[in-house]
Order: sequence, then structure tokens, then C-alpha cells
Amino acid sequence: MYTMKWIQQDLQQYVQAKAYVDTIIVPLIPFHFSDDASLEKDAFQREVLSVFMRELEKEFSGRILLSPDYHYLKSADKAEEVKRVRSWVEDSWAQPFHHIFFMTVDSSWKKFEQDMNGTLIWLPQIVTESMQFSERQSVVHSQVQQVGEFIRSYWEDDK
Amino acid sequence: MSEDKRPVSRRQFLNYTLTGVGGFMAAGLMVSPLRMAIDPVLQKEAADGDLTNVQLAEGDITNEPQRIDWEIDQVDGWYESKVSKTAWVYKDDNGDIVALSPICKHLGCVVSWEGSEDYPDQFYCPCHDGRYYKDGMNVPGTPPTAGLDIYEHKIKNGMLFLGKAQPREEA
Repeated sequence: MYTMKWIQQDLQQYVQAKAYVDTIIVPLIPFHFSDDASLEKDAFQREVLSVFMRELEKEFSGRILLSPDYHYLKSADKAEEVKRVRSWVEDSWAQPFHHIFFMTVDSSWKKFEQDMNGTLIWLPQIVTESMQFSERQSVVHSQVQQVGEFIRSYWEDDK
Repeated sequence: MSEDKRPVSRRQFLNYTLTGVGGFMAAGLMVSPLRMAIDPVLQKEAADGDLTNVQLAEGDITNEPQRIDWEIDQVDGWYESKVSKTAWVYKDDNGDIVALSPICKHLGCVVSWEGSEDYPDQFYCPCHDGRYYKDGMNVPGTPPTAGLDIYEHKIKNGMLFLGKAQPREEA
């Protein structure tokens, strides 16, 4: 199975196919150890996002490169984090990437969207722990399809 | 009477023993090449065992390619994981079942049947506009340089079983 992640094997392929891979996705993932009550829930959302990213990346591995996760403290000042995110993507824009997407379940990024120098895709937390495994799968699958459509609409604009 | 008592002479006894032991050794030597000679037969049996029931009845397969998703357990050393697989399945004009891999031969995106409104009756890759005819052959002039891989398949008890996707030979 083809993949395009930041691992040696995939990057070998990326370097060869550089002209075709013009889109990068950066998962924005919050974490913390402070609030026992929400620890499990937040960790679960992180898992959901990683499953989601894996599926999405599989569908579009020939054109999308999956960046390593951007982790930050849940309580951190977003204005500060945005600066750091910008410095991440500035390096990517310097490469021949035409599209940079951020993927997150943390809605607090939404306010800073215009400062981020990329397109924010905020996924509401629809998948919950109480869902059956098959339910989760079908929800993630349909979300992948919808987000895929969204990303493709950006590619259409290129033509 | 002494001849009745000893029907086997020393010479005969040695002959029998050497033939017996020699034969045994020859048989021992023959076993490995024999195992190798029939190995492909055994392996084919093993490959048959790898086919997975994808929960699609033969009667539900139409002329229109449909997307089938299923999961297999993949064992990589000690690490066992579930891998999801996808195929586009349909019956061709002769009524033969065709199961195509959805992995684009260009850079590995997932193609869809009629994935673009501009190209009905073709498989379409959203990444770089690669296209394939219904039989899975790549449309010349689009990025892919080979046809879609074909799954091994068989029908057992009216259900479709799929195995490994094999590249086309002519490619």
C-alpha cells in the first residue's frame, strides 16, 4: 500500500515524485496532563484524528504529503502557537507546495485562521467513545470523503 | 539338511543388506528434491487459503463496477494488524467477474469509477487526472503507465472471495 508520510521509505518516493506532490497536511494536536476529567476524551480525539489522517492520506497519497504532527499544550496561548505554526509552514511554502492544510479537532484555532498562512480544516468531534467500532469506521469514512472533496476543490482551482 | 537350516548364504545376506541400506539412503536423498518438485502445488493450495470472503454474493455483482471494502489480518513478524482493502468489482461482457485494485499506477492514489463527471465509463484518479478504461487499462496520454492491478478471485458457495492484487503481465 502506498503512503506518503514523513518516514524514510515514503520520502524516497516523495523526492522522486516531487513535481506531483503539491499539498501538505499538518495535523494540529493538543495534549495536556492537567485535567484528569478530560484526559481520556482528549486522547481519544487524538486517536480519531490519526485514524482520519491515515485514511485521507491513503486516498490521496500521490499528491498529499502528511507532515509530522504539530503538538501543543491545550492551555497554551494560541496567539503564540500561531506564530510557531507560521514558522513551520513558511519552510513548507519555500518548497514547491501550493496547498497547505491544517487538520484539527480543536475549535479554538478557528479564530486565528486568517493568520495561519494555510487553510484550516476543523473537524467537529463527531466520533465518540460510545460508538460501535463499525459506526466509527463509517463516520470516519464519510468524513474522509467530504474532506477529500473539499481538498479536490482547491486542486480544481489550479487548473 | 544343513542347506535347509541355512537357506541364505553369506553372499546373499550381504547383498540383501547392502541393497536395503543403499535403497534407504537413496530414498532419503530423493525426498528433498521430491518436496521441491511438488512445492508449487503445495504453495498454490496455501495461496488459495489466503482468499478472503468479501461478503458479496455472486448474484449481486452487476455490469456496473461497485466498490467493495474489506479487512484482512496482516501478520508482519510478531506484529498483527488489520489492513483495509478495496476493490472495484463487476462482470464483463462475457459474464466473467473482474476485480480491480483501486490503487492508481501513477503514484498510488485511490481511483473511483466515474470519479469525474467529464469522463463517464472510466476510472478516474483525483490526484493527477489519471484515467482507466472499464477493463482497467490506462488511457494513453494520462499519467499512469500501466493498467490497474487485478485481484485473484473465486466463487465459493455463491460468495466472492478475493486474494492478492497482481500486476498485469503485459505491462
